[in-house]
Amino acid sequence: MTVVPPVELTHFQAFLLFAMVISVAFGFLGRRRPKDRVKYILWSFFLFLLVGIGIGWAMLPFSR
Amino acid sequence: MEEPAQNPVSDGTQSAPSAKEEPFPGESRAIAFGFAGWLVPGLGHALQRMWGRALVVFFAVGLLVFAGASMKGNVFTRQGSDAFDTLGYIADLGTGSFYFFARAIETGGADVSHAGGDYGTRLLATAGVLNLLAALHAYEAARGHKA
Repeated sequence: MTVVPPVELTHFQAFLLFAMVISVAFGFLGRRRPKDRVKYILWSFFLFLLVGIGIGWAMLPFSR
Repeated sequence: MEEPAQNPVSDGTQSAPSAKEEPFPGESRAIAFGFAGWLVPGLGHALQRMWGRALVVFFAVGLLVFAGASMKGNVFTRQGSDAFDTLGYIADLGTGSFYFFARAIETGGADVSHAGGDYGTRLLATAGVLNLLAALHAYEAARGHKA
């Protein structure tokens, strides 16, 4: 019996959660000024998405 | 214009300032902050009044642990059967006290037969590594390194 109900996330939702949380943490740990933090968070999030989706596309031929 | 040296002892290095005027905390203090940051995510920063970073680390690690355990990810124990289990255990231990939080949530055991459980395992490991990184950051900040 679990204390909390199990969470069901799709691949993309889990991917977005990971990218968002890590980007925010990196932004706050890596930069001091708020403006720099926002820029770093957005850039990091964008790169996570780009690389993740890029790797997904690169693996597409091998999935068939 | 330089102020006259208050401590006449000169051995080629900077003389040790008093505890009140010490520009950087001592090494033992920095280690204590790092340890505190590992034990309770964000505490190492909170003790240094870095409230924003403390809150972000606490909630980021907490959210990843909660999501990972709720997705029935594998919370590794000491009784690992191979090196990967041991590495997973080390990564999970990186969450400090939240490791026990994950164990408390996931009383039903892991289910990695589905992709969700496998993702949960990764999120738990990510939470641990992120917390270790934050603890190291708190340690470096306490030593006076730019952070």
